[in-house]
Amino acid sequence: MFTIRVNGIAHTVDVSEDKPLLWVLRENLKLTGSKYGCGQALCGACTVHIDGQPTRSCVMPISAVGDKQVRTIEDIGNEHIGGLVQATWQELNVPQCGYCQSGQIMAATALLKDNSSPSDQDIDKALSGNICRCGTYPRIRKAIHKIATEQL
Amino acid sequence: MSKLTKLSRRHFIRVSVMAGGGLLVACGGGSSSSKNNNTSTPPTDNGGEPTNPAEAFQVGEFMRISTDNKITILVGAAEIGQGALTAIPMIVAEELDADWSQVSSESSPVAARFNNPYFANLLQFTVASSATRGYFEGQRSVGAAVRQMLVNAAAKRWEVPASSLRTESSYVIDDIGGRRASYGELSSEAAQERVPTNPSLKNPANYRIIGSSPQRLDAADKTDGSFQYGIDVDIPNMLTAVIARPPRFNGQALNVDDNAALAVPGVRGVYTILGGVAVVADDFWAAEKGRKALQVQWNELLAGRTDSDTQRNAYNLRLNLPGLPIRIDGLVLTAQLFASETVSADYYFPFMAHAAMEPLNVVVDYDGSSAEIWTGTQSATLDKVFAGLVLGLLPDQINFHVMPSGGGFGRRGNPLADYVRDACAVAKQIRQPVKVIWTREDDMKGGYYRPAAAVRVSASIDSANNITAWTHRSVTQDVTALLYAENLLDSLADFTLPPLKELTDFETGMPYKIDNVLMDAHLTVNLNMPALWMRSVNKFSDVFAQETFIDELALKVNKNPYNFRRDLLSEKPRHRAVLDAVADAANWGFPASGRSQGIAVMGHWNSFVAQVVEVSVSANRELTVHRVVSAVDCGTAVNPDLVIAQVESAVIFALSSILFGEILLEDGVVQQSNFDDYPVLRMYQTPAIETIIVNSGNPVGGVGELGVPCVGPALANAIFGAIGERIRELPLTRSNFKIA
Ligand code: FES
Ligand code: FES
Repeated sequence: MFTIRVNGIAHTVDVSEDKPLLWVLRENLKLTGSKYGCGQALCGACTVHIDGQPTRSCVMPISAVGDKQVRTIEDIGNEHIGGLVQATWQELNVPQCGYCQSGQIMAATALLKDNSSPSDQDIDKALSGNICRCGTYPRIRKAIHKIATEQL
Repeated sequence: MSKLTKLSRRHFIRVSVMAGGGLLVACGGGSSSSKNNNTSTPPTDNGGEPTNPAEAFQVGEFMRISTDNKITILVGAAEIGQGALTAIPMIVAEELDADWSQVSSESSPVAARFNNPYFANLLQFTVASSATRGYFEGQRSVGAAVRQMLVNAAAKRWEVPASSLRTESSYVIDDIGGRRASYGELSSEAAQERVPTNPSLKNPANYRIIGSSPQRLDAADKTDGSFQYGIDVDIPNMLTAVIARPPRFNGQALNVDDNAALAVPGVRGVYTILGGVAVVADDFWAAEKGRKALQVQWNELLAGRTDSDTQRNAYNLRLNLPGLPIRIDGLVLTAQLFASETVSADYYFPFMAHAAMEPLNVVVDYDGSSAEIWTGTQSATLDKVFAGLVLGLLPDQINFHVMPSGGGFGRRGNPLADYVRDACAVAKQIRQPVKVIWTREDDMKGGYYRPAAAVRVSASIDSANNITAWTHRSVTQDVTALLYAENLLDSLADFTLPPLKELTDFETGMPYKIDNVLMDAHLTVNLNMPALWMRSVNKFSDVFAQETFIDELALKVNKNPYNFRRDLLSEKPRHRAVLDAVADAANWGFPASGRSQGIAVMGHWNSFVAQVVEVSVSANRELTVHRVVSAVDCGTAVNPDLVIAQVESAVIFALSSILFGEILLEDGVVQQSNFDDYPVLRMYQTPAIETIIVNSGNPVGGVGELGVPCVGPALANAIFGAIGERIRELPLTRSNFKIA
């Protein structure tokens, strides 16, 4: 039995201690917005915030979560910056297949919370762990700059 | 009460009142050769409804107009990221004169009436950049017919001639009488109107929606985690399975020791199927742990032993032998004889994986007499046929849900339905809802790659420096061979396949004015090496060879590669237009200091593209791709922003392939497994990408693959400009470039 705090709510789940947080979110809590892409911390599709830090949930065993605050794509719109990121993503038609976008948005939100006017190098650093096979990188970059210059 | 008309021999629409008011537009038609529906009762005489029982049975919902003026359009093409759920409804909405803000869309059921006209109305098949261009005319007709019916209904209501009315944003407007009525209000009356046989279509000059760039209809759901992919499907009592597959293709499980696997908490069972051994469990993690604990001995007597190096040597030998002629213009041999010089070059391209972001997955709920299936697919019709074969069900006993995909790139367009068959085989044994998940490693090692290819091109030059002859020979695997070899067509009984071989698309469309041309190909058959089309198919390798070699010829005769191409394109105005446009936009001839430019041009699926790539190469071979400029002419851009997004996507997809893409086989075993050993382009490696649309107003051409093939040759030509080295094989990591 593990109790984890996700999007401000405590959930108790009966799973094996090595089950990755990603699969607890997707299967036990039915929060399917966080995606499986590689299972090896290589693609970023599973990115969630843990105490505000972007984290690869596919390699974090449930037993390591403890009482840290987990925040997922389903809730990030309730944060000011998360909401801005989502709205700008829509405005610039960033998503194509959309599968990587939960992770991209979590990574971009974390960056902008940390740095209200990121340079291209800052964006490269913060977002290069997130693969997009549809090639939405130019629009992601544009969206981040747009938020920084117009809204932060 | 319903009315019906035939729009064409095979297509008709029927319009009726929805329960609770509103207008339901149904479309019929499609595969008259598919006799799978003859279990349905033959229709009685109902005033013009087709007498073919299959067609009558296939009548179903296509569009809803509800009394509150909301319009829902069902889309037969798969949403794989390209924007089908937005672009295709735009076409209907245009002719309907709908208020776009009230339009929504959904994936259609799998039914003949949603088949892609591009594939002779035989299949729902979203490959070959065929969604928008395939469905375009049919969608217009439906929209126009319904608009006319709404106008006719208003004319009756107001007792005025229909010709005095006009439509705008989901309203019929009577300017003289100063009144208007919404489509929603009129919908029930409109349903009583006769369906026009030949509805008049708009003059493209009057398009309001086509040619505009509204936001994607799926944009919001794709930013808050609510958009549902196949992998997100969750139904009561569902188990999760992973499949242990043989290390070599077509190996068979010989001995399975499942004791340790079954001891893993949560594992429910282990089942041997044709494709491997399935571990079924309560959740993914237990299934995955169970699979790790599984001991399987494989019978590999008949398994594939493809070896990348050996195959390369064999392909290179085949380059010396004549192949199947693809194109013959003039007399190449004579021209070569009289040439002052004939030069040639050989190229090699490895296997590549599609590596869509969402790994393959299928949910099957089979209870012995019916099934429900959910999966992201580009090939729904054939998937459903194969599911029926595996499960022993008729098509109408299967409810098949086409889920939007987290990428496809051709991998989800397998006419052999490999991943659907596997999942059905598991479901058949357990008779409980099951989700079969492929891990990234399964996806990477599971076959169906872009096939390796060898290409030889040659050119003959006369004493006046004219190119008098051109030859192009390719050796690659026939990706449709399995379909025919497995005698699957027999088991598909009456099902008629469109000529899928054409999709291998060997004609490179070499556009240059050269009198004598010979193109031939060797299509190898290797049933133990699953290969499949991947975004831009053979254009990727053939155009690479063509467009790098033409560059060599330009420099050989001391011409600027842009001017050289331009001169040879005097009879190809659309090629020339994009070439000029890209040269202009990229400031051809004036790269930023320290950088070098390369250019390439081609036509594909009735569209045209030219691209300029700007690179720099450092002394220690660090390659930086700074900028990629594309000019595209896709005839008519239904949604220009979606076209630009597809080109951006294609450029990045191409760069991944060109820089890193390589699946290596050693004695039949795939060496790559995940994004660490099969890298793809990341944010920091992404160049500035600019795309301009050259609007020619021609019929709609293909867009999804268009931006891929020219990136490689333009990049290779830029590298030559930088360091004087010709690229004859991909990926570039093979030539010891470090990718910055
Ligand atoms: S799924 Fe976690 S990083 Fe790829
Ligand atoms: S939008 Fe498809 S993988 Fe990023």
